[in-house]
Amino acid sequence: MKRFQLKLAVAAAALAAVLGCASFPSADETRALGEQMVADAYPGMPAALTARAVQDADQKICSKLGGEKLTSIEAGRIVDAARATMKYPPGGKLAGDWKAGERLVSDGAGLRVREGRVEPVKQNGALCINCHALDPREVNSGNLGPALVGYGAQRGNSDAVVKYTYEKIYNAWAYYPCSNMPRLGAHGFLTPEQIADVVAYLVAPQSPVNRK
Amino acid sequence: MFMTRGRLAALALAVVAAPSPAQNGPDGLAVGRQMLAEDNPGELWVERGQRLFFEKRGPKHASLERCDLGLGAGRVEGVFAQLPRYFADTDKVQDLESRLMTCMVTLQGFTTDEIVRKRFGTLDNDSDMEALVSFIGSKSNGMKMNVPLRHPKEAQAYKAGEYLFHRRSGPLDFSCATCHADEGKRIRLQDLPNMTDPAQVQAVVATGWPAYRGTQATVRTMQHRLYDCNWQMRLPDLGYASAMSIALTSYLNHRGNGGVVQLPGVRR
Repeated sequence: MKRFQLKLAVAAAALAAVLGCASFPSADETRALGEQMVADAYPGMPAALTARAVQDADQKICSKLGGEKLTSIEAGRIVDAARATMKYPPGGKLAGDWKAGERLVSDGAGLRVREGRVEPVKQNGALCINCHALDPREVNSGNLGPALVGYGAQRGNSDAVVKYTYEKIYNAWAYYPCSNMPRLGAHGFLTPEQIADVVAYLVAPQSPVNRK
Repeated sequence: MFMTRGRLAALALAVVAAPSPAQNGPDGLAVGRQMLAEDNPGELWVERGQRLFFEKRGPKHASLERCDLGLGAGRVEGVFAQLPRYFADTDKVQDLESRLMTCMVTLQGFTTDEIVRKRFGTLDNDSDMEALVSFIGSKSNGMKMNVPLRHPKEAQAYKAGEYLFHRRSGPLDFSCATCHADEGKRIRLQDLPNMTDPAQVQAVVATGWPAYRGTQATVRTMQHRLYDCNWQMRLPDLGYASAMSIALTSYLNHRGNGGVVQLPGVRR
């Protein structure tokens, strides 16, 4: 039986070759090939940097091929894992200084690598306007994420809104499993204090986001 | 072409960086690109690449006329449209840049280290690779992308490329698909091609790279595009001609089959 299957497979591969289409590797073989390529992709780089390319368990789940959906079990797993990462600023103030937040939202720097060295920056930027419209007078903002103009004006700045906003920035996957949005706090890309400043920028009535 | 490179670069920057009316109205950046494309500075790289291809160079004092880029020794017409592909002598799938590297090492005696060190040109030092790729790319102009998927290793590279395109990693959780799988998206004001749309993949692979980049005043290649995406994703420096870079190119280029080549491109 096994031999027959083998013969069948060989015949299918030969037919595919004649027809001009090669037979594709299985999903497991493809994964092994791809992971080997990642392992070889950064020659001469320090181990601390190549480690960035190693996937964590949640990134693996969030790497579906086009059109493939997350199962509900997977989604639950991602949310639970994200909730477990939550940390808050000492003192528990989740909305900080909106002016400090304003400087952060348009800052796109931090952790970039050139020639094997991490670019030196005083602090990482919050990257926000790369993907979100915030200040209606700022034209240089992207649209990968939803526009957040008037964020606080629409939602208010209740404790519930502030907490949700903080957690969404800290780990977006707690609310939207596998969101395109990076898990900025969970990765340590932003500190809890920085996130609180960005929250203030989003909800404060005096912030350009909410000024009429 | 009677202008010097410096003046061209200044003009290019002025045109490409011209303020645009942002979200609404006609796309000022597109107008700038169109103006540049009509007198593409990349033609200077094409001319230099042609000279370099036929010149006897390197420790072995040889030209690249015996280089087999997939359609026979010395043939440059149409090769870009059929790369990456499997090469029996290296037993690898190679894109244009890795294949040129093989030829420059075996035929001309250059070292891999040297080629990698000079892979990306600067204002002070032109890259031979960027010029050669411009010349060879332009020799497929008017032809349709027709990247083969016959050899098992070509099929492997394609599938690995698809896997890698969707693979999220790094401190920002990005994959290629994060930015390139939806319609009408931008990072700040930069338009992002949607690689799930066949027409856009065709445009990118057949007219995208190599391209004269106004902001960098030089031609950049697909390897550089992938390197730069990697940088933005906060991953380490992507190895030049790494199997990963070639697999991604295999995946994209094959899906761009049918796109009509027009190179070098012009980009921001």
